[in-house]
Amino acid sequence: MDFFIKYLLSILIFFPVVSIFLLLPVNKKNEGILRNFSTFLSLVEFIFSLYLFIYFKQNTYKFQFVEKFNWIPSFGASYFLGIDGVSLFLILLTTLLTFISLLSSYRYIKEHVKEFVILMLLLETFMIGTFAALDVLLFYLFWEFMLIPMYFIIGMWGTGKRIYSAVKFVLYTLSGSLIMLFGLIYIFIMHYDQTGDFTFNILRLYNTHISNGFQLILFIALFLGFAIKIPLFPFHTWLPDAHTEAPTAGSVILAGVLLKFGVYGFFRFAIPLLPSAAFALSPFVIILGVIGILYGAFVSIVQKDLKRLVAFSSVSHMGFIMLGLFAMSAISVDGSILQLLNHGITTGALFLFVGMLYERMHTRQIKDFGGIAKKAPILTTFFMISVLASVGLPGLNGFIGEFLILIGSFHSYPVLTIIATSGIIFAAVYLLWMFQRVMFQDITNPAAESFEDMNLREIITILPLVALMFLIGFYPMPFLERIDPTVLHFLSMINHHHKAVYNAIKLKAGLSNA
Amino acid sequence: MHNMPSIYGINFLEKSMLSIIPETVIIIFAFMVLFLTFFEKLAKRKNSYYLSLIGICFSILYVLMLSGSNIYGFYGSVVFNSFDVFLFIAILFSGMFTVLMSKDYMENSEMPVPEYYSLILFGLSAMMFLVSSNNLIMVFLSIEFMSICAYILTGYIKGNTRSTEAALKYFILGAFASAFLLFGAVFIYASTGHLNLYAIHSFLQNISYADSISRSGGMGIKVYISVGLILFLVGLAFKMSLFPFHSWTPDAYDGAPTPITNFMATGIKIAAFAVFLRIYSLIYNFNIMNFNDILWLLAVFSMTFGNIAALLSSNIKRLLAYSSIAQAGYILVGIIGGGFYGYSGTLFYLFSYIFMTAGAFAVVVIFESSDIISLDIKRYSGIGYKYPFIAASMAFFLLSFAGIPLTSGFMGKFYVFSSAVKSGYNWLVVIALLNSAFAAFYYIKIIVKMYMPDEEPVSIIRGAIDDGLMITIIICLILTLLMGVYPQIFINFANNSADSLWRI
Repeated sequence: MDFFIKYLLSILIFFPVVSIFLLLPVNKKNEGILRNFSTFLSLVEFIFSLYLFIYFKQNTYKFQFVEKFNWIPSFGASYFLGIDGVSLFLILLTTLLTFISLLSSYRYIKEHVKEFVILMLLLETFMIGTFAALDVLLFYLFWEFMLIPMYFIIGMWGTGKRIYSAVKFVLYTLSGSLIMLFGLIYIFIMHYDQTGDFTFNILRLYNTHISNGFQLILFIALFLGFAIKIPLFPFHTWLPDAHTEAPTAGSVILAGVLLKFGVYGFFRFAIPLLPSAAFALSPFVIILGVIGILYGAFVSIVQKDLKRLVAFSSVSHMGFIMLGLFAMSAISVDGSILQLLNHGITTGALFLFVGMLYERMHTRQIKDFGGIAKKAPILTTFFMISVLASVGLPGLNGFIGEFLILIGSFHSYPVLTIIATSGIIFAAVYLLWMFQRVMFQDITNPAAESFEDMNLREIITILPLVALMFLIGFYPMPFLERIDPTVLHFLSMINHHHKAVYNAIKLKAGLSNA
Repeated sequence: MHNMPSIYGINFLEKSMLSIIPETVIIIFAFMVLFLTFFEKLAKRKNSYYLSLIGICFSILYVLMLSGSNIYGFYGSVVFNSFDVFLFIAILFSGMFTVLMSKDYMENSEMPVPEYYSLILFGLSAMMFLVSSNNLIMVFLSIEFMSICAYILTGYIKGNTRSTEAALKYFILGAFASAFLLFGAVFIYASTGHLNLYAIHSFLQNISYADSISRSGGMGIKVYISVGLILFLVGLAFKMSLFPFHSWTPDAYDGAPTPITNFMATGIKIAAFAVFLRIYSLIYNFNIMNFNDILWLLAVFSMTFGNIAALLSSNIKRLLAYSSIAQAGYILVGIIGGGFYGYSGTLFYLFSYIFMTAGAFAVVVIFESSDIISLDIKRYSGIGYKYPFIAASMAFFLLSFAGIPLTSGFMGKFYVFSSAVKSGYNWLVVIALLNSAFAAFYYIKIIVKMYMPDEEPVSIIRGAIDDGLMITIIICLILTLLMGVYPQIFINFANNSADSLWRI
């Protein structure tokens, strides 16, 4: 057991790979076995990841479950893993959503089942690795390879313009990542020049002294990589295509986990490495975030395609998260980390419902639906809960996150926060209006007459998510008390830098006693 | 070290012979393969195939036995040190893959067999001579020897106009390149009075030292020597297929028999880059002229042109040819970055480049038939489900070309790019990174064809896949993955090799 706890992160990262090797000998035609076995293995992985939660020591910002081995001494790179309060929950979200999306694909994925489950498990390895890595090169390795399984999932099982969307997704994110790689290498070389210490260890790279001008340039380089992944407003164009054409499982993972990497990257890398630039540019990033909130909301209102609507709502929600993160007050950053989880849970659930509707009606156009509430009361109830959680109804998870973000950022950016708040109202408009058109009204489509309600598998799929919505909505303490120390440490770290720089400027200007 | 007494040791002939043993073994086996043609009973396809493989294995054995030694032979014109050990192994791997791929290819064609294998072996020995040559005449001789083997092999498909045209083009342009090279060597000799690279190195060192004391002297020599160095660079750039001198590459790659394309793409390219690395580090690094700026331009143009042209081509061999021009640009980034880190990175990239290229060409051989349509990338649609292992390996090799992590291509790129950042070539690295993002598009295009076919896949009739091809693919796959996941062993190897480059 000691061994298990000590190397738990490695076990979590490599267990899916082991699962793949277990699945490889299974015959392609045995689809039932492949589905059940892979789902079972991902459930085992989720249960393993719960040990992280159990053995996680709260009240400390220090990294836990640390593992460190030499990897490539010539590059100064090591196999360095560890988690804090933020990555803990993101890893849990990853394992949970992988399990759910494998369970949700029983009906949707009809051909090439073996390839599908293998790619999903491979993707899980790289997602967990990205959240756990504390070495920049290791992080980049996991971060970049993650694109490949996702690309195959969109391209092989997608609908419509799947190839266009998949290629656009890869190229867009790849270009951003490569520019980011340049920034990371530059910081690494700079750190080496200053200290003679050849290392990619992020904790040591934090101590690099970079002049303000360089910080701006490097921040822009890192910003491109992370902002495309989020996606922040002008870089969001790959998202609706990828989301719309991806299979349900792909959309769930994409919205639930992949979008989180951008914010996580800002939290772990861009802001602590380049604090002055982050402070200097934060108004601009927040403006982009607020534009994203409104733009996403407005575009969602006019969408005719159900899945595209949910996809654009993601743009809007990610805008809130960026607002909270860059307002850089303890409450707002807490809120934005919590909102990361909430977005994964609620948007994941919404995509699952869109997938269920599509499986039954073979259409995603809102006008083709109508009157489904009469036929499927269970589905309607759960769907309603998810929609309300996404809107931000008090008592459900979305409210807590958005509330924390808004009160946290009001102090520093009152006007922008007020504008952002209107985004919640628009969210209510597009989501509730969509819900009304899809679920109520009269039945116009004959296919809706024989609409089946959710079966047991689908209820099991959705139940954990709905339970989490209520849990976070009513009692967010177990989450917040683990996130809090990390966030406070994050803020003290960047503020320390910031104040040091500020004092230096004051000294230069001869205002040290002012 | 290059002074007379140490060369004229008591047993200098033995030392000289020792310094070329790996090449000699290859040449002996080449003659043995050639003599097989005299005996009708022995001149079967298989015998020459196995004999060449045995020769290559013996040569590898000798290289490993000699590793660690530092031998100067033939009045200092041939050097054998750990730089050569690294590159000999790389070149011998390339030759081995070429031979392994050839068996299947030759069985489907009407070409005379033993001569083919002996030409490959002769070419291989010429590459090894080129890498270890330390004398301008030796460089010229080995380049000519290597190129003549390559010309013949390119036009080896008798009666095929594409192959003949390719050989002719390659020959004429190659002859021009040789003329440039020779002319450059003449200028260098005329201005310095030495042919030995080490001697030229110390001569130039003295000049630049004298230059730093008094600004007047040595102007005339400087003009001559910079003309010579530029001409020499042009000659080598042809062999490295850098941008303005690349025009033979797509035609020759396309027309040649596919195993020979692999031979040109891996062996010749590596030998040319290796000798360039040696010469560049010895005689280009003085403040006679800023050659790094020239290389900067060559690298940027090669990358950009190669990627744009590859994007537009639909024939897989041409696509790989253009992509190899782009790859040459990336490799050049390491040389421009310079220093120990940069040279070691260049060597690492060259080593990793063999395995991805050889693997990709092995897959091309599998799906190739006599008609040209079989080379269109449309033919690859849907093979992902029919041949899961081969298609997955091909996808992996292509991702390695594109520089996605977990592959050797990423580690190589990372290595050379970080060395360039270290030397302050930031814009070059930004351009190179944007280029690799752009290049990912056409590599992914092939993966799209393999796994996400729009139309019903073309039925590819194909018998059992030859063992040699499978072995090639498996070795390449393992090494590409290993170098991508745990490159430290290979980096140590490359570091050793780069280290000996410094020790003059």
